[in-house]
Amino acid sequence: MPNFPWPDRWDASWIKDAAPAALLAGTEMPPDSGPGLQPVADVLAALGAPAGSDELAGEAVAMTEFRHRFGVPAPTPCRSRRRRPTLLTSLLSAKAAAVAAIAAVGVGAAATTAAFAGALPGPLQQFAHQTFGAPAAHQDKAPPAGPAASATPVGPNAHSHAAFGLCTAFKRATAHGSAAQKAVAFRNLVKAAGGADNVAAFCAAVPHPGASPSPQPPPTHPTGPPSPHPTGPPSTHPTGPPSTHPTGPPSTHRTGPPSPQS
Amino acid sequence: MSILLGVLGDSFAVVLARAQAGGEAAFSELWRDSNPALLRYLRVIAPDVADDVAAETWVQVVRGLSAFRGDEPAWRAWLFTTARRRAMDDVRRRSRRPQAPLRDVPAGQLPHTADAADLAMEHFGTRWAIALLAQLPRLQAEVILLRVVAGLDTETVARMVGRSPGAVRVAAHRGLRRLAQILEQAGVTL
Repeated sequence: MPNFPWPDRWDASWIKDAAPAALLAGTEMPPDSGPGLQPVADVLAALGAPAGSDELAGEAVAMTEFRHRFGVPAPTPCRSRRRRPTLLTSLLSAKAAAVAAIAAVGVGAAATTAAFAGALPGPLQQFAHQTFGAPAAHQDKAPPAGPAASATPVGPNAHSHAAFGLCTAFKRATAHGSAAQKAVAFRNLVKAAGGADNVAAFCAAVPHPGASPSPQPPPTHPTGPPSPHPTGPPSTHPTGPPSTHPTGPPSTHRTGPPSPQS
Repeated sequence: MSILLGVLGDSFAVVLARAQAGGEAAFSELWRDSNPALLRYLRVIAPDVADDVAAETWVQVVRGLSAFRGDEPAWRAWLFTTARRRAMDDVRRRSRRPQAPLRDVPAGQLPHTADAADLAMEHFGTRWAIALLAQLPRLQAEVILLRVVAGLDTETVARMVGRSPGAVRVAAHRGLRRLAQILEQAGVTL
């Protein structure tokens, strides 16, 4: 047998042989394969033998990374640390409360206008009547004048849920900073209270929404749609597709028939 | 001959979806199915740091898991491509240090006959097979491992190693031929 490297002619004949293709594809070798290939087949079979225990020893490390990344509840100390409130999350909460209050004012103003116009569906109109003094549902008399015709403030009064949200947001913003106070929501609060000096008394008169017959969010939350609370699990997942993702067509399985060009 | 390493097959899509939704058991199944093959590959192309590179590979895979889309061959291609890049980075880092770069020994200087003879006295085992593959020139060993252990097709392997499919076929066949020669010289005839 010639020493390695073999002449090209030898290599060429080997490549044309179906045996190595079968070896690589993991399929049965042709019956006329040379006897010298059987040890090679055995080596390749050994490469694919069932896993040994040493090859599964790193699972705990991978699972820890997985739990950390996917936020799976596990007795890991990093969870409690992440939940500890910080100055940043407190400020974010104040901002979130301000956003919720603005939303509440927007929704509340529209709903109030609709309610005073008597335009809400019956049960909702009745609820509005009970909550902030809008006309009762199904009134036979002519609809009353809109809020613009009266001298009362347009904003939510001390009995509305939006007022509770405004007051809660105002308290938090007062505790954590003054910038949020300049937001539209707080100008509306001052307006609804009839002056900055009246805000404290206005908010003191706001009943807790939990006392109302309608379902409410937890007491510490302002009313309105769910606010973007920063207390949820961090969304640190990468959003782009893996850069190493192959885009080619599905490969020929090693369990399939040998590819004719292999 | 059939590959004995795990292949999830029809259940792959379900297992992947569960893992992407945070399913711990599903991710464990993916890991146990793929890690042995990954380690065998790395033990040939980056023998000194195989376990570390495998662990780093899984960290990267976990990070990108939510965004991954594809079937089982695509999953394996992604996994092994990630592992290969990390191994290459590691080799590059080492080459900047004064010590000799990993696996930079010319093919002609690789010890083969004596080691193979010793190994042939032992039973056929995975470690033995890995040690045997490690005696082949780097490209030959790598394409054989990616075809046989990772179960990737020629075209995918070609993209991974930056060669043409034809070059990959030639390298794989030469590697098999050389394996046959090593085994013959070691007196392994069955």
